[in-house]
Amino acid sequence: MLRFLLKRFLLAVSVLFAVSVIAFGLFFALPADPVTGMCPKNCNAERLDRVRTELGLNDPKTEQYANYMKGIFVGRDLGSAQGGQCAAPCLGYSYVNSESVTDTFARVLPVTLSVVLPAAVLWLALGVGLGMVSALRRGTLLDRISIGFTLTFASMQLYFVGAVLLLIFVYTWKILPTPRYVSPLEDPLAWAQGMVLPWLTLALMFSAIYARLARAQMVETLNEDFIRTARAKGAPKRRVYGRHALRAAITPIVTVAGLDVGSALGGTVITETTFGLQGLGRTAVEAVRQGDLPTIMATVLLAAVFVVVANLVVDLLYAFIDPRVRLG
Amino acid sequence: MRARLVTAAGGALALAVALGACSENTGDSDDVLDPNQVRTGAIATDPKDSMGPAPEVPGATRGGTFHILRESKISHLDPQRAYSFAGLMGSQLYARTLTAFTDDGKGNVTLVGDLAETPGANVDGDCKVWEFKIKDGVKFEDGSAITSKEIAYGIARSFSPDLTGGPTYLQEWLAGTAQFDTAWQFAESPDSLPPGLSTPDDKTLRFEFAQPRCDLPFAASLPATAPLPPAKDTGVNLDNQPFSSGPYKITKHTPGVELVLERNEHWDPNTDPVRHQYPDRFVWSFGADQTAQTNRVIADTGDDAAAVATGAVPAELVSRVAGDPAIKERTLISATPNAFRLAINTTRVTDLSVRQAINHAIDRSSIVKGLGGQYGAVASTTLLPPATLGYRNHDAYPAGESGDPGKAKELLAGRTPELVLVTSDETVAQERAGHIKAALEKAGFKIVIKPVPADGYLDTVKKKDNPYDIWVDSWAADWPSGAAILPVLFDGRSIKDEGNSNTSQLNDPGINAEFDRVLAMDPVAQADEWSKLDERIMKEHAPAVPLYVEVVTVAHGSKAGGLFIGSIFGWTSFVNAYVKQ
Amino acid sequence: MSLSPGEFAAATGDRPGAPSPDVADDAALAGPRDAGVVGRSPGQLIRARLRRDRTALVSGTVLLLFVLLALAAPLIQRLYGVTPNERFTDLLDSTGMPLGYVGGVSGEHWFGLEPGIGRDIFIRMVYGIRTSLLIALGAALITTGLGVVLGIIAGYLGGVVDAVISWVTDVALAMPFLIFALAVVPTFSLRFYGPRDAIPTWFAVGTLIVVFAAFGWTGTARLVRGQVVSLREREFVEAARAAGAGLGHMLFRQLLPNIWAPILVSFSLTVPAYVTGEAALSFLGVGLPESVPSFGRMIYRSISYVQTDPAYVFFPGVTIFVLVLAFNLFGDALRDALDPKSSR
Repeated sequence: MLRFLLKRFLLAVSVLFAVSVIAFGLFFALPADPVTGMCPKNCNAERLDRVRTELGLNDPKTEQYANYMKGIFVGRDLGSAQGGQCAAPCLGYSYVNSESVTDTFARVLPVTLSVVLPAAVLWLALGVGLGMVSALRRGTLLDRISIGFTLTFASMQLYFVGAVLLLIFVYTWKILPTPRYVSPLEDPLAWAQGMVLPWLTLALMFSAIYARLARAQMVETLNEDFIRTARAKGAPKRRVYGRHALRAAITPIVTVAGLDVGSALGGTVITETTFGLQGLGRTAVEAVRQGDLPTIMATVLLAAVFVVVANLVVDLLYAFIDPRVRLG
Repeated sequence: MRARLVTAAGGALALAVALGACSENTGDSDDVLDPNQVRTGAIATDPKDSMGPAPEVPGATRGGTFHILRESKISHLDPQRAYSFAGLMGSQLYARTLTAFTDDGKGNVTLVGDLAETPGANVDGDCKVWEFKIKDGVKFEDGSAITSKEIAYGIARSFSPDLTGGPTYLQEWLAGTAQFDTAWQFAESPDSLPPGLSTPDDKTLRFEFAQPRCDLPFAASLPATAPLPPAKDTGVNLDNQPFSSGPYKITKHTPGVELVLERNEHWDPNTDPVRHQYPDRFVWSFGADQTAQTNRVIADTGDDAAAVATGAVPAELVSRVAGDPAIKERTLISATPNAFRLAINTTRVTDLSVRQAINHAIDRSSIVKGLGGQYGAVASTTLLPPATLGYRNHDAYPAGESGDPGKAKELLAGRTPELVLVTSDETVAQERAGHIKAALEKAGFKIVIKPVPADGYLDTVKKKDNPYDIWVDSWAADWPSGAAILPVLFDGRSIKDEGNSNTSQLNDPGINAEFDRVLAMDPVAQADEWSKLDERIMKEHAPAVPLYVEVVTVAHGSKAGGLFIGSIFGWTSFVNAYVKQ
Repeated sequence: MSLSPGEFAAATGDRPGAPSPDVADDAALAGPRDAGVVGRSPGQLIRARLRRDRTALVSGTVLLLFVLLALAAPLIQRLYGVTPNERFTDLLDSTGMPLGYVGGVSGEHWFGLEPGIGRDIFIRMVYGIRTSLLIALGAALITTGLGVVLGIIAGYLGGVVDAVISWVTDVALAMPFLIFALAVVPTFSLRFYGPRDAIPTWFAVGTLIVVFAAFGWTGTARLVRGQVVSLREREFVEAARAAGAGLGHMLFRQLLPNIWAPILVSFSLTVPAYVTGEAALSFLGVGLPESVPSFGRMIYRSISYVQTDPAYVFFPGVTIFVLVLAFNLFGDALRDALDPKSSR
């Protein structure tokens, strides 16, 4: 077990390093020069160059990369224009937002977490539940309705659904407030009210996909010999379906769910843009648009961390669920 | 079976949506703006005009929380670094300046002294030495007095290379060079002041310039002259918590989410000719885009009833606003000083007849329609926007509403020049470029549209040796004088390799000499000369095609009162705002 | 969203459970019995099963219609008489809204005009279908091809090769796709074309395909790898190896024919994912230049007009829904038809 964890951990770290190099290289492919945005109307080349040197943008690229990565592990001194000493993990100072990236994250991460985690619980519970029930009652009216529902929403566009829901619930019938983020520690009710629409939209879209997946998986499992054997032996339906069938059917769902939640945490740009929420995804997109290197690096790394951790968690869960899987 | 169920359901939904579109659009509409509204401006030299209190706003009530909706965070709250419209207009609530404009919201502005008793005394009459007397009774948010020393410190810190972003007029004029941050090092001179700036006593601030700077009173209205006690200078962190000299102070700031301002008890209305202190609090809420803001304010529920959507009504929702009288009542519509023109690179398109042909061929009505009609833009045929003092309307190349391809073809005499039109890759810009291409091609031009990423667009067109022929450029002057527009955009001697504002790269010695002549004149006499020069530049050189002046249509809730669009920047002003009880 | 159809098919294994005619019916279809059962090739069996499945027929026909529409776009334009970039701004009112009923629908403009621009919606949709299908099919083909090759190699060879390919897969999965696309797409053309050159449409389309391909192969690769890993211990593989088969023969003559079924299903479900993906990129303002007709851009732009010009939302919205739905239905039906063990 320990050896497995160590091996996976080292692998994960190597993946993250590769991602950091790619992200850094990406920045230099961008046309946007963040420095010219700093003095809009009356700037001249010499002043711009001085600002660039101050920000370290005139250093060789490998040095810039090394400084950034060093900052993450031990912290570094960013100079007076960027807030001075920056403690580890130092994610840099945003050229555009005039704040340290860590502060930016403290602000936007709770929003993304508030959108994704409850929605994920919803869509998994709803989707897998619907799919399983649908498989158990194949051919009945319930099955047909659920198939219709899942097909419809699996074929729709996220922003379309979101925009229509906004129009109906917020602007026309006015029964929901405009989606906005309020800290759950401050006002749980307002937090929930503000998040209902994004949760609903994500749940509708994703549960359709997971319902299809779960249904197909459950149907296949129910056809297996060992199920028939268990029933033939007289085991009660509930135990057979609930314990044996569910366990066998769930593994591929866990894989996909892990990856989905992991990448969703990296920022659901479309959901955030549709509902006007300032989350990680939108911050990342704006950073790319404005050539804000520290923020780009930090958001890409964080998104990668989420995915890598999710994969690890999924692998561990496998060990519990499927006894055939041996770690190592 | 499944397919049928699904398609049936889909069809029903679709029908319901389409039925909403069943009324006929006959295209009738009323005019909402007078595009040629004359604007007046004056400089008030009588100290009485600079005394407070500002005239009461009819119907205003004290109390309540006023909400301001905005999409992205204000880039700089620090007054010495503010330069965006939101930053400039927002800072009026917490930063007072040497001089300020009183604005009736209809285009009539008067420059008065804000912290100063008058808009400045031209000591020797040659515009090289200016003196300001600071008022008594002006205080910071902690009750300490504002003297000339704090104002001088504010101007001095704007020299610091760490505090970039703000306008650079005062720094460049005092240092006499564009490299002001090396000419006088702020960090190394903690107790001295920049060259030319001095405080003979606590009530006097003195500027001495090498060149005549008759526009100093205007430049002093920018928040670069906001005062700051040296002890309260937190450097780059001031952007999060500025130290207030105005009617409101910042009490809570969550960047990108919320900014809360509450009353500054030490502000004395009797010293302030511009501002009021009606609401108990102002709350900026960030995040919602233009469409969301407008929809929220139209819905008028809860807090949004006392909110203003500073993101203007987008073109897509204009017909919703225009078609509903109840909503239209809660909408401010105003032309701004932001003038858009099709800049022609005169070093590439060297033939005057070709440039004149472009002027004749242009179809302004299609561009304006794309922006929401008169709610988004007003067609313009002059280089100076109507907001400029002394503006006169003229049309050097009459093209009618939709362009005159016939006349353009005549001028081209059979030629089909191929031109590259560079545009930002934002949707609105690309659509605008499409309209321009369609119009010019009717006259025989061959146009290639070249989209470049939005954040690199300005850099690209502001390079001296850029490889493009035509592009859309805009300019909004920092104060409504032709002096802040024409020489900046068309004086050949100011062409820079990068960050160039004379994007047409016009360099005519005759015109340059005219600029010098007019700039040396008294500011009031200048006004008329600028519009004459505008016409002359267009007729003799046609370095650009004036397209339109931006119009903002800003919606607000039913309880939000006292709002108007400021005439200087064409952005929402909060100095008279109140919450209807 | 990371759920690629490849993963989907992988998760459901190579024996998806969904309704399909059972084996007995196939025997009945075999035709008159002469001497015992008439042998039929897998292709014939599948075609027969598809023909019997009503859903497959309907969705297949719809897809065929779309493809024909896309191919015949220039011909349709000639008959219809309006080009995709022609502007009719005089048919818009002063705020840019189309005059008349239902967003400007008329005998000359069957689906009305775009508000604010004045271009004909019908002909732009016809060309938009063409562009979308081109991008989606191109991307699906490349990602499937790449994924199959890498997956087979990794699955069969195992060891270091497998470890390397798996690691590369992990890196590709960890990179946020949208951010990468946002950074790369706008500048890609600037590296190949001079500042004054017009970018041909095919290059812009190609850029999108390449960007999709750079990330999309991971799903198919994992699926194929899983399949090959479970197959490589089978007897027929050992037998071929004992007989002295070379690597290429092993990979492409022995293994590939046994896994083409899930690959095909995965392909048929990837295509609609890319149609949606192109629309999503347009949502971010990345993608094709504005003048090129694109479904994604039209839908994204139309959503803002949902209150003021609902017809503009309706036409492209319904069309893309039908297109994606038809793909999903057909993919399901195909999977049923390909599975010899599934029963209704």
